[in-house]
Amino acid sequence: MLNNNIDVLIIGAGPAGVAAGIGARKQGAEHVVVLERDWDLGGILQQCIHPGFGLRTFREELTGPEYMHRFIQQAHEAGVEFRTNTMVFQIDRNSNQVWTMNRERGIECLNPKAIVLTMGCRERPLGAIRIPGTRPAGIYTAGTAQRFVNMEGYMPGKRAVILGSGDIGLIMARRMIWEGAEVEGVYEVMSWPGGLRRNIAQCLDDYGIPFHLETTVTKIHGKDRLEGVTVAKVDANKAPIKSTERFVACDTLLLAIGLIPENELSRMAGVEIHQVTGGPVVNDLLQTSNPAIFAAGNVVIVYDLVDNVSDEGLIAGANAARYAAGEISGSIRRIPVKGGENVRLFSPQFVTGESDTTIFMRVTRPIEQACRVFTTPEFYTQRLRYARPGEMNEVKIKAAQVKAMPDLQEIIVDIQPV
Amino acid sequence: MAKKYDVIIIGAGIIGSGIARELSRYKLKIAVLDKASELPSGASRANSSMIHGGFDDKPGTVKAKFCVPGNKLWHKLKDELDIHLDECGSYVCAFTDEEKLHLEKLLAQGNANGAPGLEIISGDKLREREPNASKEIIAALWSPEAGIINNFEAVAAFIENAQTNGAELFLETLVTGLIFETNGDVKGVNTNRGIFEAPVLINAAGVHSGEISQWAGDTSFKIIPTKGEYFLLDRTTQGFIHSFMFSCPSKAGKGITVAQTAEGNLLSGPTATEQDDPEDNSTTPEGLAEVLKGARRLVPNFPVNLNITTFAGVRANTDTGDFVIKALENPRGFVNVAGIKSPGFTSAPAIAIYVADLLRENLADKIKFIPNEKFVPERRNIPRFLYSSMDERKELAKSDPAYAQIVCRCETVTEGQVIEAIRRGARTVTAVKMLTRAGTGRCQGGFCCPRVAEILSRELGVPLDAITRHGGDSKLLVGRTKEFLLNKQEARLNA
Repeated sequence: MLNNNIDVLIIGAGPAGVAAGIGARKQGAEHVVVLERDWDLGGILQQCIHPGFGLRTFREELTGPEYMHRFIQQAHEAGVEFRTNTMVFQIDRNSNQVWTMNRERGIECLNPKAIVLTMGCRERPLGAIRIPGTRPAGIYTAGTAQRFVNMEGYMPGKRAVILGSGDIGLIMARRMIWEGAEVEGVYEVMSWPGGLRRNIAQCLDDYGIPFHLETTVTKIHGKDRLEGVTVAKVDANKAPIKSTERFVACDTLLLAIGLIPENELSRMAGVEIHQVTGGPVVNDLLQTSNPAIFAAGNVVIVYDLVDNVSDEGLIAGANAARYAAGEISGSIRRIPVKGGENVRLFSPQFVTGESDTTIFMRVTRPIEQACRVFTTPEFYTQRLRYARPGEMNEVKIKAAQVKAMPDLQEIIVDIQPV
Repeated sequence: MAKKYDVIIIGAGIIGSGIARELSRYKLKIAVLDKASELPSGASRANSSMIHGGFDDKPGTVKAKFCVPGNKLWHKLKDELDIHLDECGSYVCAFTDEEKLHLEKLLAQGNANGAPGLEIISGDKLREREPNASKEIIAALWSPEAGIINNFEAVAAFIENAQTNGAELFLETLVTGLIFETNGDVKGVNTNRGIFEAPVLINAAGVHSGEISQWAGDTSFKIIPTKGEYFLLDRTTQGFIHSFMFSCPSKAGKGITVAQTAEGNLLSGPTATEQDDPEDNSTTPEGLAEVLKGARRLVPNFPVNLNITTFAGVRANTDTGDFVIKALENPRGFVNVAGIKSPGFTSAPAIAIYVADLLRENLADKIKFIPNEKFVPERRNIPRFLYSSMDERKELAKSDPAYAQIVCRCETVTEGQVIEAIRRGARTVTAVKMLTRAGTGRCQGGFCCPRVAEILSRELGVPLDAITRHGGDSKLLVGRTKEFLLNKQEARLNA
């Protein structure tokens, strides 16, 4: 339990952090500590009690807690030390000292050799979209409602409207039905869904929940408890069309309007944050602009599948262990990655050529026809039946391919119709 | 049985709570009644929190009489009562030569009011200090004594200190009528919680002060509820501007301002929309669009993408345009402190002293003014972990492990602070929010709301689904899971 010889310190024991712990230990780091502010491990997956996790990793449909259980067991076996109820509230940017608090241990200062940021993401709140009207009780982000229902055993309301079609909103639509509540509909301002198609099918279509695209909530009604919302179609500029406004009675409004990587600590630590992803700028070793700080999972870029998050956690943990052992020096930014015209965001943003790598990306708007995801130079190309913003795409690049081109200036990733 | 007091104050906003504190310097039995479940409510809750420099008000008005002294008092009270006051100064910005002339007028007016340190500076000088100010601004009136206060803390400080010194606070207590002696003098009030009796009644009911004044037969003024809408941006905007920026005032009011709050958020507003309903504090598309336009005029790159919430407050404008502060001849014992809008927050401490004097001069036959030698002027704020030094934090955590448990991650609020807020009277999620700032950050309670609700439930010994957002019917939860399901199944079986 010494604090002065931590090789790799990992912040957050969700899927990325637990995997990072395993990755760091397997790479040979002696003292690997994962800090978790909650009283239990698993992060948001603790409340994701629906199945659908781990199809890629375990070829099974697991619930969130089941998926996490397997990783947590591996981590225990690998000798990862976990400290729960421990919150990091400050990272000093020059010394990389990490300040923590815990009821029993009080306030402590840790001096790890390397850090992995795995704080995950948070939900976009109502204020971000500035809906006019009153401010009654009964408006929750979908994840907060999920916590109330799945972990506390309480219902946030009896008749819900869901704004936004992010995956948590879709999952919660079904959960509310399962718990005996009504779901009047799901409203999405964009012309395409925010979440996975499989969730539209399994959570909305199977339960006859109406799904309204290009429609949004324009007003909130009710003084104490929510009494209803006004919804309206939007025009091409996303401005509500007055003539289409209608009142929908409901006592609950659940928001699934996007996820934002949670980078308060990263900013404190002086880590460069990417304008579009909202997460740290990283290379393929998942190293940030601060050479001793690595990052993985939804804190970097919001993924669709937890399998990807765990994979990235393993990589970040292993490279943090290498850094702690002095095997990596400086922040390596050899070859910049650039997005083509149809790519809205992607990660990592730099390739070192030291290891095989996967670059994850999302298209700006849907391509509902056969298309191709590829790199320039052409290290990778793959045909796709379609490409949609709600479903991530990836390219894989081999270290050998990069090493074979010593004069390489940039790698462009793009998705184009064929 | 009627509860008997010397003084009843209707309304525990910045005015009512300020008067309660001032009167608690005397051995008086004071009852403060407020219909809300949490303080502040009404206009003291949703306003610009500006401590004005004192140049806006025409010399000779009641406003002008209290604004400059009020400003001076706040600079002293901030330490005495442990309130965040950012002594940031303010600028009135001129875009045209005509507006520049108006600055001269304001300067003269300010000098006449005794506002210190006023100075007209060039647009370039302004932009040296405020690089994000519009390039179109040609001159600005600088008022170094202006500031911005944490309005939640200010009201809490007044009412807590008044309570420390013996005043009693009754929340969720709605005054429904006045009671008079046979000679016509004030006797007390009817409320939803029974009768409260006192020979002196202070009407500090904000937007409702006109109605209550009419009950007493004084119809010399009318309240025109005036809505002001605002944007509040993330604290990551800290330093985007450093002070309080105004446009040149017009007939419609002081216009849209942009300011950095005492806590480092960026704030813009208010609109000034007259309405009939004193309680309607909903935001509107038109109002929000007007605020954004006004904000961008002063600060063209106003980072609205970092908005975390919008809100509206309803202020108590009067048809006379001025504050109404007077003791009525008939009924005797009835004192109006009504129609207090901008610069009401600034004026509040000066008004409180004036009202105490007014009572002493006019109503000494009704109540006795014996100094309360046990009066404690100081009040300490709930410890603020965010602003504490590392040594103070270690000390807090050692003294109470609850201070080593974060509840609100955006504003770094600990469980210890939440428990202390509950100890000081918080009963709702919003009350905790206003006393501790848990839930005021960029996730707007997404993270801390369930945790605060749990702590409230545990500390108050009530079920989780009894906890409300802001009192009344604003319950967060509607029951246990499976309840509806079982009820539905039962109904089906019965059918």
